[in-house]
Amino acid sequence: MADIISIARGVFENKKADILIGYTKATSEGRTRPVIVRSADEVQNLVLNSSCLNNLATYLTRKENKGKKVAIVAKGCDIKSIVQLIAESQIKRENVYIIGVKCNGVKRSFEGEDSKKIAEKCLNCNVRTPHLADETVDMSDEGLTGKDEKAELIEKLDSMSAEERFAFWEEQFEKCIKCYACRQACPLCYCERCIADKSMPRWVESSPTKRGNFAWNIVRAFHLSGRCIGCNECERVCPAGIPLSLLNRKMVMVAKSEFGYESGMSADAPTLIGTYDLKDKEEFIK
Amino acid sequence: MEEYIISLEDLKKLADNLIKEGTDLFLPSPDNSRFVRLKKADELKLAPEARPSDISAKQAAFPKCDPVLFYKRDKSTVELKDAEPSANQVLFGLKPCDAAAFGIMNKVFNWDYKDNFFNKRLENTLVIGLACTYSDDYCFCTSVGLSPVSETGSDIFLVRLSDAQFAARAVTDKGIQFVKKYSQLFAKGDSSKSKPALESIKGPARKFDSKKVKDWLDKNFETDFFNPVGDTCLGCGQCAFVCPTCHCFDIVDEDYSYSEGRRMKNWDACQFSLFTLHASGHNPRDNQAKRYRQRVNHKFKYYIDRFKEILCTGCGRCSRGCPVTIDIGSIVTKIGNLT
Repeated sequence: MADIISIARGVFENKKADILIGYTKATSEGRTRPVIVRSADEVQNLVLNSSCLNNLATYLTRKENKGKKVAIVAKGCDIKSIVQLIAESQIKRENVYIIGVKCNGVKRSFEGEDSKKIAEKCLNCNVRTPHLADETVDMSDEGLTGKDEKAELIEKLDSMSAEERFAFWEEQFEKCIKCYACRQACPLCYCERCIADKSMPRWVESSPTKRGNFAWNIVRAFHLSGRCIGCNECERVCPAGIPLSLLNRKMVMVAKSEFGYESGMSADAPTLIGTYDLKDKEEFIK
Repeated sequence: MEEYIISLEDLKKLADNLIKEGTDLFLPSPDNSRFVRLKKADELKLAPEARPSDISAKQAAFPKCDPVLFYKRDKSTVELKDAEPSANQVLFGLKPCDAAAFGIMNKVFNWDYKDNFFNKRLENTLVIGLACTYSDDYCFCTSVGLSPVSETGSDIFLVRLSDAQFAARAVTDKGIQFVKKYSQLFAKGDSSKSKPALESIKGPARKFDSKKVKDWLDKNFETDFFNPVGDTCLGCGQCAFVCPTCHCFDIVDEDYSYSEGRRMKNWDACQFSLFTLHASGHNPRDNQAKRYRQRVNHKFKYYIDRFKEILCTGCGRCSRGCPVTIDIGSIVTKIGNLT
């Protein structure tokens, strides 16, 4: 199978796309960073390995990339977000050339102990072979292993009383500094004007106070429920270390158990939030 | 300069005294993500080998959100009450790249308007610095006029001699008074103790000439140099918010109800697209490349033009924590090589 550099060269030589979003080496060993290349002459520094943590689909909805034919290097989880963007009519299938990555999992973090563990999202991955791609590329397996520590925490949170749960999140959200890295890294946070930035009227207090932080983080979890595909970029990039996946994964679990819905799997299936079915369960509405 | 010796045990005793006196002690959290209040003195740890905490110590003088005033109103009157900033705090084990930041921010907070909030807090803060033995690809303190052993900004400066023993230098008058107050914990020492420890600290590998960086920035405002950064920068505020010297803020009024509320001063960041959005709808920095150009210029040109200081201590936090690993050190190194 061809490597990422020759595939990228082929994309430009065969005029499959105007730009290509991929990964390149970052300053320090063991890190990668996103890069946009515009011609076959620029592809030589592209890399693909288990340090390719970013979900590049977040660039697809950017103003400057709209209307262009964009080639994108995407792991299965990233492809889920592309599928969701198509399902939500944010991008057109024919405008994106997907270089799907056959992936055995990425690192939990670039550095430290976590760089030896597999990312938690990879443990129950159902898209190691891309489910939507124009061509595929193999990513070598580095045999990463690890435990899903968050699954236990989600169960623990479920078993708590509302007061205990509130106290848990109070402590977590207190750390939020409102840098909005979560929103900016999220491929599905594509609103041109985020509700957090609206000031007439102001829906979400901009202050990183207890109240303002609760408002922001809960609103974001609601806006992603039934939509989040679980790439976990928000949690990875959070400088305050807030375990946002606990919220998002719970929402994913509810979408599945209550509606049998899994986001990011089919671009043709109706979206959960965008449809109403008479058979929808109602007993959870109290 | 007066140099003393203090054991870790005595530093813990010192912390215990301070906590009992009602002083707030701040130091990096166990996971090194941010500065937190020390609750128990025996949990005091000083780690010169640790990387700089993910979020800097600037909150001590410039909190992420700060009430400016409180208001009450009814149909005919408005009642205002000033917020009174208060602090009585000791910052423990600040790295030189954190300690130096307060003096840099001090210039802008006392330039035309004297910022009472910043000044009051800083006045009531004692900084205990710590010589740093950490460095990685993102550190560059020695290229911005500092070093892992700079005492700038510290009132007392510690150097680790062994796991259980530190040399302590009283750097400022405030520091000298402090050592006097707790003199039973500080034994007399001399620089022969700390010298070998300090000399063994190498510092970061990255080196660039900040004068050359400024020379290029002086002449190249209109440039496409920042376009590749603009391509991938996500426009979040992580870099500014973890930075020890970034000091932009936003003023907002928050209503608790129709009749009551407060005015807040909150961190803001030049990488947000809304930062320069005018009421007319025009945005002079209408893309991410222009916003990143602003970040670099503010740090390595404008601040020097106005205050003769680089608005950066080389801690590397912005790059280490950047969601897309945009590395300001390698960017300014490249700029320095363009002239």
